[in-house]
Amino acid sequence: MLKIVNGQVYDPAKEVKGEVRDIYIENGKITEYSPGREISQIIDASGCVVMPGGIEIHSHIAGAKVNSARIMCPEDHYDHFKSSTAETRSGTGYTIPSTFLTGYAYSALGYTTAFEAAVPALEARHAHEELGDTPMLDSGIYTLMANDHMIMKVLSQKDEVASKEQLRDLITWILTSSKGYAVKAVNPGGVESWKWSQGAVGLDTPVPPFGLTPRKLLLGLVEAIRELKLPHGLHLHANHLGEAGNFKTTLETMRTLEGFPVHFTHLQFHSYGITPKEAMKSAAWEIAEYLNAHPEFTCDVGQIVFGPVTTMTADSPMQFRLHEMTGNKWSNADVEMETGSGIVPMLYKPTVLFNAIQWCIGLELLLLIKNPWQIILTTDHPNAGPFTSYPHIIRLLMDADFRNSVLEQLHAKTGAFTHLKDLKREYSLEEICIVTRSAPAKALGLSQKGHLGNGAQADVAIYRLQDDKEKMFAKPAYVFKDGQLVVRDGEVLRSISGKRLIVEPEGAKILHPDLARDFAHCYSIALSNFAVQDEYLAQPEVIPCI
Amino acid sequence: MIYWGANPVESHMRHLSRYSALAKGLFIPEGRKGRKVVVIDVRPTPTAKNADLFLQVTPGQDFEIAHVLRCLVKGLRLEGLTETSPVGGIPLSQWRELAEMMKQCHYGVVMFGIGVTQSRGRDLNLEEINTLVSEMNRYTRFYAIAMRGHGNVNGSNQVLAWQTGYPLAVNFYRGYPRYSPGEFSVVDMLARQEVDAALIVATDPGAHLPEKAVRYLQSIPTIVLEPHESLTTTWANVVIPVAPAGVGVEGTFYRMDNVALRLKKLVDFPHPSDVEVLRALKERVRQC
Repeated sequence: MLKIVNGQVYDPAKEVKGEVRDIYIENGKITEYSPGREISQIIDASGCVVMPGGIEIHSHIAGAKVNSARIMCPEDHYDHFKSSTAETRSGTGYTIPSTFLTGYAYSALGYTTAFEAAVPALEARHAHEELGDTPMLDSGIYTLMANDHMIMKVLSQKDEVASKEQLRDLITWILTSSKGYAVKAVNPGGVESWKWSQGAVGLDTPVPPFGLTPRKLLLGLVEAIRELKLPHGLHLHANHLGEAGNFKTTLETMRTLEGFPVHFTHLQFHSYGITPKEAMKSAAWEIAEYLNAHPEFTCDVGQIVFGPVTTMTADSPMQFRLHEMTGNKWSNADVEMETGSGIVPMLYKPTVLFNAIQWCIGLELLLLIKNPWQIILTTDHPNAGPFTSYPHIIRLLMDADFRNSVLEQLHAKTGAFTHLKDLKREYSLEEICIVTRSAPAKALGLSQKGHLGNGAQADVAIYRLQDDKEKMFAKPAYVFKDGQLVVRDGEVLRSISGKRLIVEPEGAKILHPDLARDFAHCYSIALSNFAVQDEYLAQPEVIPCI
Repeated sequence: MIYWGANPVESHMRHLSRYSALAKGLFIPEGRKGRKVVVIDVRPTPTAKNADLFLQVTPGQDFEIAHVLRCLVKGLRLEGLTETSPVGGIPLSQWRELAEMMKQCHYGVVMFGIGVTQSRGRDLNLEEINTLVSEMNRYTRFYAIAMRGHGNVNGSNQVLAWQTGYPLAVNFYRGYPRYSPGEFSVVDMLARQEVDAALIVATDPGAHLPEKAVRYLQSIPTIVLEPHESLTTTWANVVIPVAPAGVGVEGTFYRMDNVALRLKKLVDFPHPSDVEVLRALKERVRQC
């Protein structure tokens, strides 16, 4: 039994707010003290805070598009390399690090779980191969479904009862075939529309080839997800990402999906207002006001970090627009019947007004949404910034003077389009713990993670208290993964492999005969070879449906 | 579909029937009859035989052709060229026809092969073809796919990329990955005689590399993991027979479009897999 003593414990799920308590770990779990048990090791956490391991709810770290970006951008890697050590592998990369470095870097920040946010079922095997080479983390993938031909076909049937039943079965089949954790929707209908060289879609635009509207598509998906009782709701990248005035679409989408389990991802990119002269301004206040009245929804922020990024998303029309706008290099893929994807490297600059406003909007959302359980800290890595910037963002949240000093360096007109300078709120350590640990665990339905109660997985991060919160969170004193000490003073001590989190909903595990016929005609792979084989998941763990 | 410097009928035998020219799909149920096929090559090939349009071009002109196509697509005036002026040995009017065909289609794909990447201009040819394809997306949907050669080359590119950040020409000499095609590529390393031993896995350099590189390879210790007799196995110092992936052992194969496929084991084989041999070698080296 291992004992962590003298630490100020933060466990918001159990309403523990920095009281000095001892934590006991045995067989990879947090446990209660039982007299007579031998204490094999004592960790002195004096002057430290003790928190559950960090949980990444939305990041692009593994799979076809990430690897294409690595190949496309060697300039991202040259200056960022690590040699191998007795315990760790070598690698390169800053915004798109190689898999081993990705695992080490998350762990060195105190993170112990991460989800890859967008994987087409056809490319799931590849994503699982990469996650198998991503050490230190429990991981999982979200499977893309909102531009999938089979989904759209099932939903455009006239017989509503049959349609609903078939959709539940189809979602089950796609999730189990891809060994996915959650249903991801990216620009619902919009990606397919672009494949037909048609324009952006609104919620009521009929999308070829089935004439289904995004509204009907979304309602179908959320209803099925609720009935399948999936641990995580619909993970939604809404329509019109990055467009001035898109907050109207975002709000309309929210109203449409009221009462359903939905997580709105990288909401910063979806909270843009528009001025009479069609310039972009912050609409964070409108979005936050809505979410404050609707505690059933969660979101993550997708905070902008100034510096280089590599944007990558299944939202191929958005990426083409970005390429045409910036002239930066671009790669694009069409994933057959399922989705698309695009990659464009970018540089966010504080002196560019658009970027400065984006930066403010993310922080405004974090400060205006009152309940920290509803908003999770992300950078939509590596779209808005690299995840290694989390300590910097934590300082921006906890230190208003620091935040204002950065604000002063932005484009001179930033203040005219944002509210940030008027916001005085500073996050507490408890709130930081919620937005990086407890809230993502809850939103993902992971009952063994994100808290330090009896029986919880012994993923623990210990940080030395410092005035400079960026320094504090950049270099944990200790990190435990499943009860093993893996990081000390920000250095990875040993490389371990984590579990792959999957779900097994109670729908049919085989494809409906009509769809199986379509599959045989239209896919470039035989149905019997499609599902990811068990060999690709060394340590699967089924998370129960709620 | 435009096959450019590629001859998949002979190099990627299942590509046309399963994936490209002949494949039937949701929107082209009639398969080959429902699409236009163009071949650009320096000689008549079996792939060209079944094309709707075959453009036999003069060697080494791919950059120029792609550049002229870009101008024609955009409607730019080409000074000094008339409709009959040859570009790559083909009159401009025919390229104009192709440019129109590309703009009119609903969905186009260029599949380029080593005829483009290994001829004069190499990566610059590709840069220009890819720019053409990018710009085509202002009018319609257009894609480019590399027709890579020799079995699972793409699998090796993918694994190297996720483990090191770089797809090929990776040098670990300093303890971390460095990347420099043309400097750390096999041919260049051999030509500069910087290599003093070689471990060769799943390839036949004796058949594929330039003569000078092969001759140097023959002068240094070589170990080959190979299921078949090849030009390299005849002179290698050590040949370790292995079971072929997809026949004697399971594995993963990356398709031309980066989709990972599971390779199955069909029969028992007396030999170990590449992985088993490499693991055993690594263990022995560690013990040395």
